[in-house]
Amino acid sequence: MTMQPLYQALKAGFPIGELTEQRPDLAFITVPREQLRGLLLHLRDQEGFTHLVLLTAVDWIEEDRFQLTYLLHDRKGARDIGLRVMLPRQAVIEGAPMESIHDLWPTAATYQRELREMFGIDFPDSPGVNEDFILEGWREIPPYRRDFDTLKYSNETFAPRPGRESQDPAQYMKAQLYPDGA
Amino acid sequence: MSLSDVLSPFSAWKNLFRDPVSIPDPLNDRPGAPRYRGFHQNDIEKCIGCGTCEAICQNAAIDMVVVAEIATKPGDSGLRPRIDYGRCCWCALCVDVCMTSSLSMSNEYKWVDHDPEVFRFTPGIDLKHWDSTELGYRRPEGHRLTGNERVVMGELAPEARADSFVEIVAGYDLEQAKLEADRCVSCGLCVATCPTHMAVPEYIATIRDGDYEQGVRLLYQTNPFSNVCGRVCTHRCETSCAARHEGDPIAIRWLKRHIIDQVPHDRVKQIAAEGRVNEPSDHRVAIIGAGPAGLTAAFDLAKAGHGVTVFEALPAPGGMMRYGIPEYRLPYDKLDEDVDVIRSMGVEIRCNTRIGEDISIDQLREQHDTVLLAIGLHQGRSTRIPGSEHEDVVSAVELLRRITFGERFDVPKTVAVIGGGNVAMDIARSLARMQRQQHGQVGVTLVALEAEDLMLADREEIDEAREEGVVIIPSRGPRQCLIERDAVTGLETVHCVSVFDEQGRFAPKYDDSDIQVHDAGLVVEAIGQAADHVFLGESLTEALEWERNRIRIDADGHTSESWLWAAGDAVEGPDVITAVAAGHRIAASMMLAFAQKSGRE
Repeated sequence: MTMQPLYQALKAGFPIGELTEQRPDLAFITVPREQLRGLLLHLRDQEGFTHLVLLTAVDWIEEDRFQLTYLLHDRKGARDIGLRVMLPRQAVIEGAPMESIHDLWPTAATYQRELREMFGIDFPDSPGVNEDFILEGWREIPPYRRDFDTLKYSNETFAPRPGRESQDPAQYMKAQLYPDGA
Repeated sequence: MSLSDVLSPFSAWKNLFRDPVSIPDPLNDRPGAPRYRGFHQNDIEKCIGCGTCEAICQNAAIDMVVVAEIATKPGDSGLRPRIDYGRCCWCALCVDVCMTSSLSMSNEYKWVDHDPEVFRFTPGIDLKHWDSTELGYRRPEGHRLTGNERVVMGELAPEARADSFVEIVAGYDLEQAKLEADRCVSCGLCVATCPTHMAVPEYIATIRDGDYEQGVRLLYQTNPFSNVCGRVCTHRCETSCAARHEGDPIAIRWLKRHIIDQVPHDRVKQIAAEGRVNEPSDHRVAIIGAGPAGLTAAFDLAKAGHGVTVFEALPAPGGMMRYGIPEYRLPYDKLDEDVDVIRSMGVEIRCNTRIGEDISIDQLREQHDTVLLAIGLHQGRSTRIPGSEHEDVVSAVELLRRITFGERFDVPKTVAVIGGGNVAMDIARSLARMQRQQHGQVGVTLVALEAEDLMLADREEIDEAREEGVVIIPSRGPRQCLIERDAVTGLETVHCVSVFDEQGRFAPKYDDSDIQVHDAGLVVEAIGQAADHVFLGESLTEALEWERNRIRIDADGHTSESWLWAAGDAVEGPDVITAVAAGHRIAASMMLAFAQKSGRE
């Protein structure tokens, strides 16, 4: 099985990027943001991808981009396709909105609420998007953003567990192999 | 109501005969996905305790702990990672960065216990049922967080270098050095292996920061010969580098050279003088031999305010760094820079002063509190094969010395070199250059006793010698030098079957049916060197304790005579960096003796 026929069919109708085939039954395509809704509708209604498996994000901080991944499943064909959309990271942090797809799949609202909380990506029309998801009373920057300092946060927030100790490899080797320094 | 509405409940009955899709025992029979990031596994034999997993962990979930089962040895700290599952978030960065791929994650994800302490464990040491599970997260092929290939060093091509003594290695530029420095994970496993324990991760970090003056400062804390060692060090540190397990070791030697290359010489002198004691002490030290051991001790002692005089028999300081190592590997002006810094510390170097001729060892002892013997190995050993007493059968060290003197002697069109070590390569490559200059072609045959893969020389020396036209023939033992009408005409060799016996003793076995003759107007012996101890005189030679033909020293380099220390190739060997380490040790030992003496008075 291959996703090539589907990809070629999609390419005929939409200006889309390269196909990345992870497995014979799983592939990813990067698509322009303005093509997203049309492609999702086409895949859902014409190609059998009726199930939204998940919607998630990746923070490509070095490239100043957020990546959204919409993973769809075709039950009959037993295959998955992921659509990737790149957003300008800095603009999103400053509040630039992303279009919601809760009207295509109601479950999208839950994912969008999570993305709002964990990455700070806003989907203004999505129901309940501003309600707390799992981080009640969170005061820091969204924690899935790569500029969130996990280590600093956990050191400041959580007490160190008693009994923990660590050795520096070079210092330990000195103590074992040449304790007098020579 | 239609007929189908009545019948459809019955049509579902056919499912009774299908295999169920539900899992019969969902608590036990539901494995994680093949690449699931479950509980950690660590191949304890592969792990080197470099602590890179601990360094990358964003949750401070990993500690490097002492484990009874693993001993500390070069290249392995003996520590192993312990993971706190109260903090771990299973991001797998520790697996992705692991320098040996020892760390991985199984697809096991269920672990129930009443005791919270058990969830802090040392994978591979605290045995778990998932230790040998095949499935789970492994670092994908080709996915590396640290570069595994060394930045290629620019070198003169064979045709561009084969007829000149110009330095071969170009040195890294700023961009190359940063890229190479970026590959270092700063684990520090190399530090223990370096004889003088240079602060390698710290000085490499100064390249990333662009703070070269701090780099020079760190170099001078442990080594006053960074120009030299940055070029010709045997870089044993690189054999302990964590990066060597799944790629090239960091080019530590070239990075050291890069740092010292970036800072102007006058600034290097200022940095080296930081912390120098300005009030002179009344202690006087005589050092015999201006090689790396003697001059390092001189540097430390002079920096601490003691009066140091170095006596050197040859016309210029440096010892084997100048008179042994060819210029194409170590340009004289770079050695001069290192020596100049040492001189600027207040060290007096008296060249052309041979102990036993220009001044006696007894006089030295009378005029100084302590004496260091750092005379090196400047006498070539002879094979003593028939014909080897001929004047055109010479030792490699003598010939290398004459080349450094600038003597432009005539090299015959054919030369045979006996020996498979680095000195043999040095003389073969030097003579090949002179032949190209004098005759336009190379005619050097090098015969080594050892087989190709057991030859003592560095692999790059062997390869580069061949690139320059030297013919290297392994597994040949010298039989005799052929002489016709008082002139050397060739070297006869016999096939060497094995060099050592079962007990590992030197006992070469030959196949007498396989004899070859190599044309040679000059035969060079490069089979080892000896020290010349004649100047010690009879009474001191008698008084000293010896170990075979070496003076016996203790761990501090102290001989059996309270005023005399010894260091360098003559007592220890085998390389510059070991001599540097010995120099430091002896300076510290002498200063301790001064302090104890002052305490008693």
